[in-house]
Amino acid sequence: MDFMFVFFAALALFGGLMTAFHRSIVHSAFGLVGALFGVAGLYWTLGADFLGATQVLLYVGGVTVLLLFAVMLTTRDAARPSIGRFFIAVPVVWVLALGLMQAYQGVGAVLAASGHVPGEPEPTTGALGTLLLERDAYLLPFEAVSVLLLVALVGAVTLVRQRRGEA
Amino acid sequence: MEAAWTGSLTGYLVVSGALFLLGVATILTRRNALYVLMGVELILNAANLNFVAFARFGGYGLDGQMFALFVVILAAAEAAIALAIVMRIFRDFGSVDIGRTDSLRD
Repeated sequence: MDFMFVFFAALALFGGLMTAFHRSIVHSAFGLVGALFGVAGLYWTLGADFLGATQVLLYVGGVTVLLLFAVMLTTRDAARPSIGRFFIAVPVVWVLALGLMQAYQGVGAVLAASGHVPGEPEPTTGALGTLLLERDAYLLPFEAVSVLLLVALVGAVTLVRQRRGEA
Repeated sequence: MEAAWTGSLTGYLVVSGALFLLGVATILTRRNALYVLMGVELILNAANLNFVAFARFGGYGLDGQMFALFVVILAAAEAAIALAIVMRIFRDFGSVDIGRTDSLRD
């Protein structure tokens, strides 16, 4: 469990570093792929087996493919980090980091004091499926998200549609 | 099982915090609109990791995972729409540089 956590955490963080700081946008996109894989692996180490698989399918297999298509279709010149913006980025990131550390202070202690010990991970697919179809659980969000996906699909196609005769 | 900080909640919070900060850095330091999208995805994943980590270590059952699942679905839909918008911007402005999309500016 330790090695798996360290491996996937390193993958996620290295991917994130590549996304944030690499010169080439294609490398950054592949860094994002690594980061998303790393997060999927971290889900697996947390016992979220179905969620990890969904992450790989939807994020790595969907979003990054879309992103790479967009990169391919819109890259004219090499994207480079705008040097001046580092002066804005560094203090903002620093402030956020301090805020996060402040927010997380004592969380570990509070949870340990609550006495909850995580049990052995169990398969979650069936339980998640049942929750999605239970009226008092997540049925309504499930149906709403289905409608939302339909709207997003139609909207995306409408946005890029070219009418005949348009340049 | 209770090894060092690696398998505990703190380890996951550190990773998710770092991913969040990397996402913010990506958004702030790049001019290409697609980089902004990548940064947003990093931020969403960091939040998701928090959800699942707290679900496991805080005894919240499957609610955290369910939330994360919906976030994944919504992020995919949002990425599709955002990329459609980026394609439109590229067609109308000739570039995806966020500094060039300033038609509404005085």
